[in-house]
Formats: sequence, C-alpha cells, structure tokens
Amino acid sequence: MTPLLLGTLGLALAGPVPAVLGRSTWLLRAPRAGVVLWQSLALAAVLAALGSGLSTTVWLASPQPPDNWRWALPVVALGMTLVVATRLAWSVARVALDTRARRRHHRVLVDVLGGRSGDEPALRILAEDTPVAYCLPAVRNARVVLSQGALARLDDEGLAAVMAHEGAHVRARHDLVLEAFTALRDAFPWGTRSELPLRQSALLVEMLADDVARSRVGAAPLARALVVLADRPGPDGTLAAGAEARSVSLRLDRLAQPQRPHRLASLSAYSAAAVVLVVPTVLVAVPWLVHTWGLLH
Amino acid sequence: MVPRPAPRLGDLERDVMDRLWDSERPLLVRDVHSLLRAERDLAYTTVMTVLDRLTRKGIVSRTLEGRAYRYSPVRSRAELTAEVMHEALSVDRLDRTAALVRFAERVSQEEAATLREALRRVEQRERP
Repeated sequence: MTPLLLGTLGLALAGPVPAVLGRSTWLLRAPRAGVVLWQSLALAAVLAALGSGLSTTVWLASPQPPDNWRWALPVVALGMTLVVATRLAWSVARVALDTRARRRHHRVLVDVLGGRSGDEPALRILAEDTPVAYCLPAVRNARVVLSQGALARLDDEGLAAVMAHEGAHVRARHDLVLEAFTALRDAFPWGTRSELPLRQSALLVEMLADDVARSRVGAAPLARALVVLADRPGPDGTLAAGAEARSVSLRLDRLAQPQRPHRLASLSAYSAAAVVLVVPTVLVAVPWLVHTWGLLH
Repeated sequence: MVPRPAPRLGDLERDVMDRLWDSERPLLVRDVHSLLRAERDLAYTTVMTVLDRLTRKGIVSRTLEGRAYRYSPVRSRAELTAEVMHEALSVDRLDRTAALVRFAERVSQEEAATLREALRRVEQRERP
C-alpha cells in the first residue's frame, strides 16, 4: 500500500493541490507565509515521489512476493521516482548554471553600456527611449537597470520606490526562491508539471518587495511607479498576458489595503505548511519504516 | 538600498569601451592610455589590466601586431544595446530562467485603465 499511497500523494501535490491553492486569494494576504507554504508543498511532493520509489524497492524485495498483477503499479511508481529524482538533480544544476551565466553576461553588457548615477551606485541607465526597469540579483554586484524612457516617467519618489523594491529582492535573495521553483517545475515529467507554484511564488515575492518599498516611501508613490511602468509603450509582442498581466493589478489592490499583518492568513498558511510535511511522514512513512525494520530482523 | 558594487574598475571599463567604440581602428594600450589621460591620472598598467579583463569577458578582441596587442570591440555599441533590450523586453520569463527580475510587466490598454482605477483607490486612502 505504501508505494501507492505515496505515489498518489506525490501526484496530488504536484498537480491538483497547487491548482486549488493557486485559485484562492487568501494566501496573497500573507505573502511570507504563502511562500513558505508553496515551498513545503514542493518539498512534500518531492519527498512523496522519492518515498514512493524507495518503498516500492523494499516491497518488491519482501519475502512474500506480490501477485503478478500487483506488480504493475508499484513498478510504475518506482519508474516515476527515478525520473523525478534524476530530472530534479539535472534541472537544479542546469537552472543554476544557466541563470548565473546569463546574469553575468548581462551584467557585463549593462556595465559597459549603462550610465551611472552618483546617488545610486548599483543603478545602470540605458540610453533607450523604450521604458524598461529590472534588476539583476546577486550576492554582491547586483544591478538595477532603468532605461532613459523609464527614468523620464518616474519622479524622485517613484525612483526611490523602484530602488527600494529592487533592493528588497536583492537583499532577501528572492531570485533563489524563484530559481528553486523553476527547477522543480522542469523536474516533473510532462503532464504532471504545473506552472502554478512558480507563478504564484513569483507574485508573492513581488508583494514582499512591495511591502518593503511601501514602508520606505509610502503606498502612493510605489503605486504610481507601478502604473507608469506597466502602462508603457513597447514593441509588439511584449505585452504580458493572463496571469502575468493580472499580477500588477493584484499588487495595486494590495497597496489599496492598509498595511497590517493578516494573522489568520499567516497562521493558516504556516499550519498548512507544517501539516503537509509532517502528516504524510507520520501516517505513511513511519508504518513503512516499522515494517521494513521488521523485515530486517 | 541595493548594496554598493565594486567601484572604480567597472567605471573604467566603460570609459575604455567608449574609446574603443569611438575609434575607427584597433587601439594599442598606449593609445587608450593617452586618450584617457586627457581626463584623469591613470597608470599604464591599469589600462592594460582593464583591457585584459574586457578581453576575458569576451567583449574585446586583440590581435598581435609586432610585439604589442591591438584591441577592438567584438561587437558595436548598437549591437550590444539591442541584445540587452531584447532580453529586457522578452515576455517569456517564466519559460526560461529567472535571470532578470522585472519591476512590472507591460500591460494592455484595457488592463491599464483598470490599474489607473486601482491607483486612484490607493491615492484616496493616503489622503487624510
């Protein structure tokens, strides 16, 4: 039973559970707890997938070999586990190397092309009319890049809001959170993978950075900066669609609310995060461990 | 704020690239040095170090002429700018690695109207 239970759990945590959670809005009230919940769901899915394979191996090696037909499902579970484990290792390494190489190259380019501003040593200003604003996260050597077009649309408060927002990303290493979810998404086999954990955690870290910027410069300057930079001219085909476009709107809605901690939402998210990791371990893994222990003695 | 990046050498790299881009022919370390010396006091070896770093970063190439290297940009300023802007504007960020973290995605006209409405709510709330 254990391999099947864990296999089902792994699949549920990889697909349907994120789908339901991704539609709910209560998590957006507690972004920090929300990120933790998404992380624990991801970890639980990986652990369930790995546990399913391990228990299958033990089960197949047990003294009473199972009936022929009962072989099939655990073997499929074992196969999936191997696929997920291999792909996860591969995906983590590839995403980490890729991201760093792209960032390093991009930083070299903005450093030789970009103008400087005396007040903001990490700021690089591109001599382009098309408005762009982004950051290149790094432990040291992080950069915030703005084009002349973007700078022209921001007043001093707006620029301070952008810098505070990007500074929050850089200091809290939000890029590592996103990197892990990118690797995880790529690790699950096609058909069982979901964009949602990555998409939702991307939105939640934007909100965390917004919170920092808001406490520095206030909600209104940040909201104005968001609107002028989201509503900007640009080449065809660079419009955000669907969930991406909605993310700015959700961030503005949050800025229209008073800035206070939502204890209930936080508590629920943290509790759910703990439950999702602890309960399967206790219910499924412990009996299996006891059983395996029995086999060995 | 964003932590302060390592100063000096980075700024110098930009100045050196500007000289190479503005020049019609590949330059010797000596040429770059005398061009920059017009503005500030710089050691010859510093210019050599910067050119070496730019070569290792792959944006400058050098050819041996006699006993000295001549340096030139691998690609023009416009080409590099186009590459940076292409990456900055590409919308498929979720399909690739999260190398760049954008401040706000670009939205359609209809969506922008919704955003301006939401902005009014924020500004109203802030008003005493």
